[in-house]
Amino acid sequence: MRKLFTAWNIVLIVVFATLFLSVVYPIFFIFKASFISNETGLLSLESYRAFFHYPYYLRCLRNSLFVSAASTIVAMILGIPFAFFLSRFHVPGKSIIKTLGTLPLILPTFIGAEAWLILLGRNGILYNMFHKIGLDIPTIYGWKGIVLVFSLQFFPFVFLMVSAAINSIDSSLEESATNLGATKLRVFRTVTLPVVTPSIFAGGLVVFYLSIENFGVPILIGEDFRVLSVQAYNEFISEMGGNPSMAGSLSMILLAITLGLTVLQKYWVERKSYAMSFLRPPEVKRLKPLPTFLIWLFCVLLVFVALFPFIVVIIASVTKTQGPVMYFGQFSFDNFVKAFTLAPRPILNSFFLSTTATLVGVVFGIVVSYLVVRRRGPVSYLLDLLIMLPLAIAGTVLGIALAATYNKGPIVLTGTWLILALAYFIRKVPFSIKTTSSLLQQIDTSIEEASINLGVPPLLSFIKVIIPIMLPGILAGAIIMWVTTLAELSSTIVLYYGPWTTMTVEIFQRIGSGDFGPASAYATILIVSVLIPLFILNKVLGKDLASSL
Amino acid sequence: MRVIIKGITKRFGALKAIDNASLTIKEGDFFTLLGPSGCGKTTLLRTVAGFYSPDEGEVIFGDQVINDIPAHRRETGMVFQNYALFPHLRVFDNVAYGLRARKVSSGEIRQRVESILKSVQLDGYEERYPSQLSGGQQQRVALARALVISPKVLLMDEPLSNLDAKLRVSMREEIKKIQKMLGITTIYVTHDQEEAMAVSDYIAIVNKGKIEQIGTPYDIYYKPRSRFVAEFMGSSNILSAEVASYDDEKELLRVKINEDTVQIRTPKPSSESIMLSLRPEWIQIVGEEARSQPNVFAGTIVSSTFLGSMLRYVISGFGGQPLSVEIHDPQNAQVKEAGDNVLFRFDPDRPVILDK
Ligand SMILES: Nc1ncnc2c1ncn2[C@@H]1O[C@H](COP(=O)(O)OP(=O)(O)OP(=O)(O)O)[C@@H](O)[C@H]1O
Ligand SMILES: [Mg+2]
Repeated sequence: MRKLFTAWNIVLIVVFATLFLSVVYPIFFIFKASFISNETGLLSLESYRAFFHYPYYLRCLRNSLFVSAASTIVAMILGIPFAFFLSRFHVPGKSIIKTLGTLPLILPTFIGAEAWLILLGRNGILYNMFHKIGLDIPTIYGWKGIVLVFSLQFFPFVFLMVSAAINSIDSSLEESATNLGATKLRVFRTVTLPVVTPSIFAGGLVVFYLSIENFGVPILIGEDFRVLSVQAYNEFISEMGGNPSMAGSLSMILLAITLGLTVLQKYWVERKSYAMSFLRPPEVKRLKPLPTFLIWLFCVLLVFVALFPFIVVIIASVTKTQGPVMYFGQFSFDNFVKAFTLAPRPILNSFFLSTTATLVGVVFGIVVSYLVVRRRGPVSYLLDLLIMLPLAIAGTVLGIALAATYNKGPIVLTGTWLILALAYFIRKVPFSIKTTSSLLQQIDTSIEEASINLGVPPLLSFIKVIIPIMLPGILAGAIIMWVTTLAELSSTIVLYYGPWTTMTVEIFQRIGSGDFGPASAYATILIVSVLIPLFILNKVLGKDLASSL
Repeated sequence: MRVIIKGITKRFGALKAIDNASLTIKEGDFFTLLGPSGCGKTTLLRTVAGFYSPDEGEVIFGDQVINDIPAHRRETGMVFQNYALFPHLRVFDNVAYGLRARKVSSGEIRQRVESILKSVQLDGYEERYPSQLSGGQQQRVALARALVISPKVLLMDEPLSNLDAKLRVSMREEIKKIQKMLGITTIYVTHDQEEAMAVSDYIAIVNKGKIEQIGTPYDIYYKPRSRFVAEFMGSSNILSAEVASYDDEKELLRVKINEDTVQIRTPKPSSESIMLSLRPEWIQIVGEEARSQPNVFAGTIVSSTFLGSMLRYVISGFGGQPLSVEIHDPQNAQVKEAGDNVLFRFDPDRPVILDK
């Protein structure tokens, strides 16, 4: 028992080493790089000085904060009424509206951006259509487009969190307020709102975080409107050899923001606790036909507009294309045939990388959950904190950190698939750990002890008893990890190289060169590959997306 | 299998959850650890099972010190408070689990599982999942699962505490019956003194990690050695007294409690000032005609409570001390009211002199 090199201690060392090498050290590496002058190679503050001196860089920061704030506000404006309507009123087709309403948050944002380019780009069909009749409607480029895409894809987070809060209000609470003589408005202001407010903020924080760390959307439709993540990428990748110091300092500034947001979020989540006894969920009211219709229309329209881009992409994928010219209305499977026969590598690469990262992630997730939940102590507490660190790092920043660290020196990983798998694994493994550890917490230790007592050694007891009990949850976590890694772009774009192009990179590059047909074919394959596992999750395991995220 | 616990101490940080506990359990005995919540019963039981390793002392099965044998090789059968059935396995597989771990042939597994399920009256439930069973049935599965491996020692940690009162009584009788039938050495943990008395051959009273007293249920009840034991096993009137005289021939002690002189038949106590335990049912309310008998005293009724099978008085006696008195089968008793002056007496054989 008191031996230092028990099996568990070795596991602990492996776990910490993995975290150190894949997150802590790379981040430290670019942190250091950001303080090194490009010219002299000596310690200097020159990058940070440049950042705060040139309006060009400062504008990136301002732009990032601005689009994120704007998207957060719009997502709230959409998500809060959506949540209220669906939880409080009778709406026809409610369950399907709810399911479809959560979908945008799992669909890749840059595919949404692609669809808007197809519609409202400089060569977009809607744009052309209006142009022909002499009307110049606004294009998608710039901050407005970014805000549109973000708010349509991220409003479900506000919706989910606010709904959960609304449904946790015991109806007797509002009833007793009414009984005490409060008007409807007063009840809303004094009872409902205070309970829901923390969730609105929590949802808003998530939207803000996702917006500021996003890379695909601003790079595709931002054009001159540069944000931090895009600028860090540009500095790092730049054809003139790149500027690791500047890329490092931009990454550090983005990291400071995302870390701050994560801490704030943790603080909010821990603070908000509705200790409701949950006796009776709030009453679902049936309104008069006209208001019901208006509410229904709002919900349906919102879901439709949010999912419309993906329908457009699917339609585009089966549309006859010639270079950048698309013949809408003319059906063709060419894009798919080409994707599968001429360039199937990206598809296979994506599947291989996601599957590898997920398999390793599941095992890692189980092991870490066990350490955190069952072997309480200062070490496991540290582990618990450390493991959530990747959640606070933007994909681009992690990509840059890994690429810079493992480019030369004792361990060289750039130019191999390993670095991609590593990035996928470390970015998404916190999800796997979250689901498994919350499950493990619910399983009484005596179940394991019963097995040990009956003659099965501890490790085997865990495998024979605990893992089967947790299996549905483990699978759900694995599915979420698989679909989110499959759609990963921001670190992939920094880390991939020729033979290891993924579907996401392929789509991204095709969009860049205006080949919307093939891009849409890959995008459709990606969308289907994401939706099928989610469907399985829902039907076979009886879990919905909301409860697994 | 005989079990010996020799000077076991177990610390959690600064807390001594078990403090130098020693006891011996003979082969086939039903031995109960009884004590209030948090006294260390579970800790001691888990130390025997091998889930905790003691800081000091030895656990001995038969003649073998088993401190270094890990839990999964100790061959104990443990029944957990929350049953700890495997939710993903059917009743049959739950019970067969330990046999499979021992690589018993499948034919023998079937036969042994079926026979043990029959003895806990669960034949026919093999294909159910634990969630499809009532609390009492789950309890029986847990018992069957622990017994089927023919463990050296059966360990039970408050196995009945999740059942309702009626079921608790019938289950404890069943457990006792099966235990006697199989003749298996058993350590049983409970904080319910009635349950302990009903099932045990021997009881160890545990208090703050220390074993206060070990004995048969009769010994523990009639010969409590400490104030803690006297008060924990049923209720007791605890009285301080000063030794007045001792008659060696008759083994009769006279003590003074305030102004009254009380006679007690007992060996000579070592100290001049002593503490007595007097159970409420040992005291009778008597009429004037009993005045001439020994140990008759005057008191005043303070309160009177009718509880069906008994009548409970609180009497102010021995110079104003509250004394609890129980009259069983009170139907024909002449019921006294608060304020009534009465006479009460008890047998000189009854009072117990406590150590501390
Ligand atoms: N794993 C542990 N770590 C630290 N302290 C513990 C641990 N287990 C028990 N204790 C402490 O040791 C003491 C004895 O606990 P134990 O569980 O043995 O009591 P118990 O007699 O079984 O009580 P109950 O009747 O409530 O089950 C308690 O004060 C408890 O808080
Ligand atoms: Mg206990």
